[in-house]
Amino acid sequence: MTSLLNTALNALEQVVLEVTDAKSCTVKLLEGGSTWASDLFPQSSDQQAFTINEDIPFLLDFLIDAKTIWQQQENAKLHSGLWTEITSNNKELHLEAIAIKHQQRNILVISNQLENFKIQQKTKQLAREVLLSYDRLFLKNEYLHTRLLSILNQPTDQSNVLATLAKVIENAEFAVLIASKDFTTSIENSAALSLFKQDDLLRSQSARPIDILITLMKNQLPEYQRILATGSSWDGELCWILPPSTLKWLKIGFYPVKSKNNQVESWIIFANDISTIKHLTQRNELLAMQDMLTELPNRFAFWQTLEEHIASKQAFYLLYIDINDFRRHNEFYGHHEGDKLLIELSKRIRRVIKAVDFIARVGGDEFAIILSGIDNKKACELAIKRIIENINKPFQTKELELFAIKVSIGVANYPNDAESVEELMKFVDLSAYNGKKNKKNSVQFYSKSMKDASHDLIKIEQELRQAIANNEFELYLQPIIDVKTNCINKAEALIRWNHPENGLISPDQFIPIAEKSGLIIALGQWVISRSCQIAKAINQLGYNVKISMNLSPSQVTDVNLFSHLRSCIKDNQLNPGLLELEVTEGVLVDDYAVAEKLLSKVRMIGMSVSVDDFGTGYSSLAYLKKLPLDYLKIDRSFIKEIVTDDNDKAIVRAVIAMAHNLNLCVTAEGVETKEQLTFLINNSCNSVQGYMLSRPIKLEHFIKLLNEQKTIN
Amino acid sequence: MIQKKICLLGASSVGKTSLVKQFVEGIFSEKYLTTIGVKIDKKTLSIANEQVNLLLWDMEGNDSYNVFQEKYLRGAAGYIIVVDQTRASSLLEGIDIHTLARQVTDCPAILAINKSDLLATWHLDDSEYEAYQDLFALHFLTSAKTGNNVEQMFSSLAELLLKREKNDLTT
Repeated sequence: MTSLLNTALNALEQVVLEVTDAKSCTVKLLEGGSTWASDLFPQSSDQQAFTINEDIPFLLDFLIDAKTIWQQQENAKLHSGLWTEITSNNKELHLEAIAIKHQQRNILVISNQLENFKIQQKTKQLAREVLLSYDRLFLKNEYLHTRLLSILNQPTDQSNVLATLAKVIENAEFAVLIASKDFTTSIENSAALSLFKQDDLLRSQSARPIDILITLMKNQLPEYQRILATGSSWDGELCWILPPSTLKWLKIGFYPVKSKNNQVESWIIFANDISTIKHLTQRNELLAMQDMLTELPNRFAFWQTLEEHIASKQAFYLLYIDINDFRRHNEFYGHHEGDKLLIELSKRIRRVIKAVDFIARVGGDEFAIILSGIDNKKACELAIKRIIENINKPFQTKELELFAIKVSIGVANYPNDAESVEELMKFVDLSAYNGKKNKKNSVQFYSKSMKDASHDLIKIEQELRQAIANNEFELYLQPIIDVKTNCINKAEALIRWNHPENGLISPDQFIPIAEKSGLIIALGQWVISRSCQIAKAINQLGYNVKISMNLSPSQVTDVNLFSHLRSCIKDNQLNPGLLELEVTEGVLVDDYAVAEKLLSKVRMIGMSVSVDDFGTGYSSLAYLKKLPLDYLKIDRSFIKEIVTDDNDKAIVRAVIAMAHNLNLCVTAEGVETKEQLTFLINNSCNSVQGYMLSRPIKLEHFIKLLNEQKTIN
Repeated sequence: MIQKKICLLGASSVGKTSLVKQFVEGIFSEKYLTTIGVKIDKKTLSIANEQVNLLLWDMEGNDSYNVFQEKYLRGAAGYIIVVDQTRASSLLEGIDIHTLARQVTDCPAILAINKSDLLATWHLDDSEYEAYQDLFALHFLTSAKTGNNVEQMFSSLAELLLKREKNDLTT
């Protein structure tokens, strides 16, 4: 029996050791004994107990965990994971150890995992090589895009800019074009010329690469007009067919270069020839009309089907689903997880639409659906509700981390909204785009008022742009009082717009528009510079008062924010300790990774960070523990009824206690009565802010207030 | 003889194994062969008349196929976060791993920006450099291929560990 067992264990490439003394790591060979085992444990040959020592450090380390298994009463098992051991006679072994507690016996199994190792290595090698080459392609594009943007954003009077630019572009391995707003080429590289080379013998005049590209985009992208009108970037595939012999698949990156006021000044266009990859995938006929990743029909198949539906003259609804912040998702979890999400999402949508409906993947993170046989809005809304309910269920990463996504859905009806493929696609795209900036799920039915609203928005945007240029903004300061000293130790900077015709406009009216149009970056930069000037001015008067600035979500993700902050601090020769950043809970949760990086940096230079409107949003305690924070600002809604409402009392007390436990200070917002103030003081709130103490006031009034305070004290 | 466990951590294909191979055997291979699991190499250095035996735990890179396992850091005297200067994403992944590692150990960490023989696709700007300076005890721009800074990195780490040990003894 023993000999049979031995034979089996040898065939399985395992040795079984009995642990005679777990404390000293003494073991004795029970069964199994092939050459590799003798190489690994030369001392085991005489069947005597021996000690596992530092000669095999990995195993010795594993025994620390193994001891916890052996010391317990219940049966249990623990795997060490693979490791490679070089034996004293220079043989390479790929092993795994398994600690077993079974019927009160302590066992250690060493398994030679050569086969498993080889399989794993082969699979992972291939997978990692693919990951690597994909990464490189992606990075080459990204890198060049960033570099070009930074060069183009430099002042034009720098004589070496053009030379650098030309060099960078000429060295790119793929086609690069830079064109003005009206598509006059200013730069094109040799790769572009060779990619778009035409058979000149047959043509009297060759078209320029930019003209070919624009024609392709116009013909193949219904969202083309929207991309131009909104200055959006686009990436995707185009097919260039030029009989008799040209058929090229192009991967295009189309990026705007914008001025500080967010106006498109020029376009950067990348084009990669991916015909070979396409050819490989198209060897299978089906793949020509199918998206490889999700196995759904692709953009071209969709186009065809849509035309067929229109030709049939039957009413239908067209949906366009766009995943919000998909790019950020990819950056956060990696492209592999991004692909996994697209597959899962396509499956979920497919499950809830009818068999007669048609779904396709029409872009990177975009899906289009034709809801057939529906001619009323209510039925369409029901179908959308089913889709959203399914999308709302949490997704899971490979590492079992749960996450949620939000989508923007644009809807248009045939024949009421439009009767052609192009118009329909343009309308659903515009509808989805309108909901896109909304962080929640949004459904936008196409309407004429939507078109009008977008015109109004453009008008206010224009005025905002002008306002930035004309310096029509002003910072008001709302004092924050330190409860202990009863003195102003901080002020929140609040922006106001002195509109030349409409007078003072509060931020609620223009910040959302600035957010939506991207102008918030320029506006935010102004707030930062002005806050630094104010902090310096107040400090020069001998006051140690911190200025607290609000950061919008877009600012948190703006890569230039930190360097702008630093240069303002430097320009004003300001102590960074006199500045504070306020971010809302939503930003912290939505953009955790980015926020964490930014906040760590600002705190590193001496600034402080506070969480604004605490309690109104997600209130995730997890981020409070992890993020580098200094203050919590309890939202005014909790303070309002604090004297009469027992729930609010309890919440505020709990928040203060929790914050203090986490070494955070607490500021109460919206303090309006003496009773509220007394409650907060009695409950160890650190500072207070509100109309009772002072409204937001102009700088000169704020200084006056400081002077008065000084006189009283 | 003093023995120190050093872990090499980082994303996959940044060159952890190549750094160890260059340091221990003085050779470099152009062929990329992915590491599976853990492999431990040893090398003894002589620092200020003291023999220090480094146990170099070369770990499989972290990516979607292999998640970081902090248990391997147990007993480590120091660790090296290896990043690839031709792939910006490897820096972000390296920082993530560093953050996870910091939850289980406060031993000295080194940042090795590897593949310095190749054209860099990213650089740390001044503010980032300042930010990362506090995160790592030392930084090195290394090339496992040319050997640039490899020996120096491991020796500096060994020196640092020795110094820490002496300080611990005296305090």
